[in-house]
Amino acid sequence: MLLSAGRPSAHRVDEYLQAARLDIYPDRVEIVLDLTPGVAVAREVVQALDRDLNGAIADNEARAFAEDVLRAIAVDVDGVRVRVALVESMSPTIDTLLRGDGAVRIRAAAPIPPLAEGLHHLRFRNEYRGDAGVYLANALMPATDRVVVAAQHRNVDQRDLVVDYNLRGTPATRVRRGLPVGVACGLVLALQVWWRRRPRERA
Amino acid sequence: MHARHRIASIAAVSVLAILAASAGAQRGAPAHSQADVTARIVAAAQGVLTALDDSRRAKVQFPFDSPQKTNWSNLPSPMFQRNGLRLADVTAAQRGAVMTLLSVALSRDGYRKVIDIMRGDEVLRTTQSSGGAGRGRGRGPGGTGGPAFGENEYYLAFLGTPSTTAPWRLQFGGHHLAINLTLAGSQATMAPSLPAAQPASYAFEGRTVRPLGSENDKAFALINALDAGQRGQAILNYRVADLVLGPGRDGRAIEPEGIRASALAAAQQQALLDLVREWAGIINDAFAEPRMAEIKTNLPNTYFAWSGPTTNGSAAYFRVQAPTLIVEYAPQQGSVDHIHTIYRDPTNDYGAKITAK
Repeated sequence: MLLSAGRPSAHRVDEYLQAARLDIYPDRVEIVLDLTPGVAVAREVVQALDRDLNGAIADNEARAFAEDVLRAIAVDVDGVRVRVALVESMSPTIDTLLRGDGAVRIRAAAPIPPLAEGLHHLRFRNEYRGDAGVYLANALMPATDRVVVAAQHRNVDQRDLVVDYNLRGTPATRVRRGLPVGVACGLVLALQVWWRRRPRERA
Repeated sequence: MHARHRIASIAAVSVLAILAASAGAQRGAPAHSQADVTARIVAAAQGVLTALDDSRRAKVQFPFDSPQKTNWSNLPSPMFQRNGLRLADVTAAQRGAVMTLLSVALSRDGYRKVIDIMRGDEVLRTTQSSGGAGRGRGRGPGGTGGPAFGENEYYLAFLGTPSTTAPWRLQFGGHHLAINLTLAGSQATMAPSLPAAQPASYAFEGRTVRPLGSENDKAFALINALDAGQRGQAILNYRVADLVLGPGRDGRAIEPEGIRASALAAAQQQALLDLVREWAGIINDAFAEPRMAEIKTNLPNTYFAWSGPTTNGSAAYFRVQAPTLIVEYAPQQGSVDHIHTIYRDPTNDYGAKITAK
């Protein structure tokens, strides 16, 4: 015999899950945002998506929706606002959304102006649907060794994320920086060899 | 196929199944080699194929690198459209062969966990049915109305041909369960996989079943074994409402956070390993042991992060992350009765490392 000890509540209801993952490169940040409305808010989201009310979400409607979402998202690098541009928007069917488990995926990117090597701060703020939003925001492990994440700071609901990261030089600049030290070491070594092998006066 | 031939085949499958099951039941006895276990899993998989008729056999087989690889979810069908052989559509003997395969492929505890999760979904089905509203009647794909819950709504798929040498995958899942087992000769991985539970506690034959109870209790014991300074490092100052790297989020790892295991005392490190074993040990012991050895090797670079209250019985999120491991445990909408978890290996999800040519 099977008996439940708890209340069976299947899925997200009145929350609007917004999960952001940030991929930081030296010259840009790529953002993937998954929006999953619960059943109680799904109809509003569908209305925002299906603008011509024909019961299907066309590509242009998905893009227009995504542009609206991105207007509520701000990215700053070292305190300077950068422009977040839509790359792609993918929507499940209306039925899937209305069941409360479909996710709209938005891909966006923001260019990062040339920065000096060293510590920088990237701030991501998501103010979209603050009335129902439940937020996740995380930096991915960088795909390049030129970016090293030092720390992440969030407010309690993860609407606001600051990523401290170190920007390292390119391999070429690292070689160039190491060149004087390498040359100096080489000279010292050569001097030592010469000193040991120099012809000595006989006593 | 003639009836006599079919009966002979089923008898052969049954013998194989009994042999395999007895092998599976002997964990605790001397450990079998990985190659032996692969051979047993392959034999049990072939037993399933032999037990099926042509149409059902066609449903269970997929190409090794087909999109089916990533076609898994925590969601019930038909919210999420699964492919493969649905347990509701097989005979009792065929179902027996499927369950025997799982018992061989998984450890004793892993198999129990899978059964407990499936039974939990049966609880959900009966509770939702009695609640009316046309939900949870186990109608399955193609039916109308709400989600299909219950023990019959789980699917088996083989990606590639079961083999002791060539790579192939065993995929088994349904609501709150995704097992993705990739085998390549004597190596195997179960990443990514998703054990989840709702209800998280139920009564079955006079006893209380908690499919993810050990995970919960070990994690709370660990966080409470930390001193104030360690907790300060482990506990995140923000709410985590769901899995960060759940279904559909393959391929990349997030930056680790929390306390580094190198800052833990030996007993605390052991408690962390015991916690991780709840996921890494779902697979047959022959593969779980080398996996645990790898995780232990990486222990200095392993992080434990916590979000939420630290009193057992509360809804709290936690994550264990290492170079070859990600485990997340996420109560849904603040409920301790609805838990999602994920198990990943960023270097070897879907056997990327062991199937590399």
